[in-house]
Amino acid sequence: MGQDLLSPLLSSPNVETWAFYLLTTLSICLAIGVLADRVVIRSGFILIGVFGTISGIFLLLSAQFLALAQIMIYAVGITLMVVIALMLTNPRLEKEQAVVYYDESLPPLAKLFASCKRNLSLWVSVLSFVTLYSALIGENHWPLSDQAVSQDAVKVLGESLVTNYSIPFEFASVLLLAALMGAVMLAKGEPKTKDDDDSLTVVDEAKKQENNLALQR
Amino acid sequence: MENVVKVIKEPQSSINLALGYALFAAAVVGTYTGALFTANGIDKIVANHYDFWACVGLALVGWVIRSVGGHKGVIVTMTVLASFIILTLNQPMLLRYLTFAALLFSMGLYGMVQSRNAVRVLLSIELMLNAVNINLIAFSRYVDPVALKGQLFVIFVLTVAAAEAAVGLAVVLAIYRARQTVDMDKFTLLKW
Amino acid sequence: MFANGDEIFKISRLTIAWLTIIFTIVWMVCWGVGIAIPMLLTQQLGDQANLANEILRAVTPVIAILVFIPINAMFMVLIERRALALWTVRKGPNRVGPDGNLQTAADAVKLLLKEDITPTGADAVMHTFAPILFFAPSIIGAVPLLAAVTNDHPLFHILNLPTGIFYVLAAGALPVVALVMAGWASNNKYSLVGGLRSAAQAISYEIPLVLSLVTVCLMAGTLDLVKITQQQAGGILNWNLLGGGALVGLNQAIGGGGAKALEAAYPMGAISYVCAGLLVCSLIISFWLYLTGACAEINRIPFDLPEAESELVSGYNTEYSGMKFAIFFLAEFTNLFVVASVTTVMFLGGGDNPIPPYILDKIPGIPQMVAAIRDSFFCQTLHIINPETLFATLWVIAKVYGLVIFAILIRATLPRFRIDQLMAFGWKRLIPLSLIVFIIVVFAREFVNIHG
Repeated sequence: MGQDLLSPLLSSPNVETWAFYLLTTLSICLAIGVLADRVVIRSGFILIGVFGTISGIFLLLSAQFLALAQIMIYAVGITLMVVIALMLTNPRLEKEQAVVYYDESLPPLAKLFASCKRNLSLWVSVLSFVTLYSALIGENHWPLSDQAVSQDAVKVLGESLVTNYSIPFEFASVLLLAALMGAVMLAKGEPKTKDDDDSLTVVDEAKKQENNLALQR
Repeated sequence: MENVVKVIKEPQSSINLALGYALFAAAVVGTYTGALFTANGIDKIVANHYDFWACVGLALVGWVIRSVGGHKGVIVTMTVLASFIILTLNQPMLLRYLTFAALLFSMGLYGMVQSRNAVRVLLSIELMLNAVNINLIAFSRYVDPVALKGQLFVIFVLTVAAAEAAVGLAVVLAIYRARQTVDMDKFTLLKW
Repeated sequence: MFANGDEIFKISRLTIAWLTIIFTIVWMVCWGVGIAIPMLLTQQLGDQANLANEILRAVTPVIAILVFIPINAMFMVLIERRALALWTVRKGPNRVGPDGNLQTAADAVKLLLKEDITPTGADAVMHTFAPILFFAPSIIGAVPLLAAVTNDHPLFHILNLPTGIFYVLAAGALPVVALVMAGWASNNKYSLVGGLRSAAQAISYEIPLVLSLVTVCLMAGTLDLVKITQQQAGGILNWNLLGGGALVGLNQAIGGGGAKALEAAYPMGAISYVCAGLLVCSLIISFWLYLTGACAEINRIPFDLPEAESELVSGYNTEYSGMKFAIFFLAEFTNLFVVASVTTVMFLGGGDNPIPPYILDKIPGIPQMVAAIRDSFFCQTLHIINPETLFATLWVIAKVYGLVIFAILIRATLPRFRIDQLMAFGWKRLIPLSLIVFIIVVFAREFVNIHG
């Protein structure tokens, strides 16, 4: 039993521990930044840092291939897409302020409940963390293996993808193709032709009015 | 009735404070209740109680920085970090990764429920998916290091995440084009 | 091009002088930090010096790259300006130093002394962070190439990763994010448009780029850069540029294996020969696809839309000055160098001699010269270099700077794309072409006995 301050950090397998705490500290700080930053585009850029640190954690877990895939797909591909979508939707015009209604004449207990209701999402997330953590701590029969990760992990992954997991692999590729086409169709918008302007304009006008009414309500 | 109900802008810091203290309390409670289930759990904590107080100190430093006028994010960051370190310091490596993933997942959940910008909701979903990836890779490292099934599933998760982001952002763009807003609270066209 | 012999003479003199200086400095640094100081420490301290020696050997490549990048960028800017001046019939830099050879050094000093401006209303943190994020991946991506270009020199052996080329690709994808970040953080519409253009362009051209490299990896059967280089040893017919191993049998047959080697390599007769021909064509197309995609990835003309000066002032780096602009500038030329190195390693055989050894050994004087170098003072006593590494490095330098000159020639020749032409070219031409090449290679490689 270590009696020293922060003894687990100084015991024998300490390199992994130190690297783990360095990466997780960075990652948690950046994730809080993603959630808390008022400028949404900036939180999109901070997300790149989160993905980078998570890819460092993958490296710690000796999954080099996935660490690099994480960088290529998440940190560059997805985040770039998100940032471009943010620029197109122009979020600087949006005011992200929580406007809260509450009644000052309520009795204290009701005020407490009202406060809990206001911060419901907070309590949901805290509760989810506590539940997950209790479940993790309660389980102490992990079938741990002493073996090291196989050296040619890329080969193992590739062979599994085309043998045991070929059907999920094909489904994933079909899903990607469908998503690609669907995204293009959704983002392309309606083509405007001269033939159908009469009838469609009327419908469009009606739709716009309905939207405005719905907005006012 | 109208003059009783007041509209006030809730200061952002109180939410952050509440989040920080709640996580911190959850951490302390979770450590001690969780230790009841493990063999020698209490012994470990008692033996290493300096670590515990060091992390409490970390949280206090955050509070002091906040009280002398530091950024309001400092205290929530430091309390979350302190509770994370308390929770994981005496655990084996696998549980550390799993706890980290759980924390990231909960943060993503918070962001997903709380955010009003639709794109930030998508960002939070990406965070949650990443937490799942960490779980899968941690299990494949410590439980199944030869066949690496966990890593395989991460490849599928990556695929689904890419598809989800593409379609989600296209939907957001389409909604923006129709409604000139991406505020989640204003997508109420189907409300009765 | 050949009208001005005097100018060509000046350029080649400049090139030889600068290259000699650069690589002497880099070799001295590597040798000093990685070999000489550890030897001295071991002599003085014995086993106590082991940890220090390990650390020194680990930091050697990083120090070498950090020394190499600035002076190399200075040289590349100079050669670009001189060569452009030659090909566009203008006068190049000719004031500072002999023949204007120190012009870029003076420019560097000027940039470092200029005021560092952050525009009003800009996001200062992102504005500062973008050049760093742009520059860091080019260093990180260059590191695993070192082992491949020096013929697996023991000093750089530790850097060789099993997923080498994927690592380089991942590092090469990151700068795009930095460009979008720079464009957004500058609070300037030209910068923003430049950043968005760079993102669209990079995402589009990443697909043919990666697919062309996947074709090579498929032929090689590995992602390991050193293995890919070593497989290509033995003359120009073994290079990935010419079939990625499809012509190895032919090479062996010419080199003395005769009909037996042909039969072993092409077991199916005529079908195998046709497939070998298809592979050669496919890999040449792959090479061209990689060059095109890489040009777009590093924003070289004709793909320099993100900083098109006639439309967007200067694109994403409009609002940058002083040190930050210098970092952008440095990183652009470093990226060009890294891309040329990747092309050399993946397609042009790395440090391999284009003349096959069975011809080379018959040339009088060459074997004796190699033996003389191997027995010389430098190799034997100072462990400064081994002949394999020396020749490999010389060939790599020749190929890499040849590709750089080729990029400059393209810049002097081709006009800039329009943005819709760029997108149509990427999505409607290059991506289908790369997919077709990929499928051809998948099937054709089954009929040829690759790599013996």
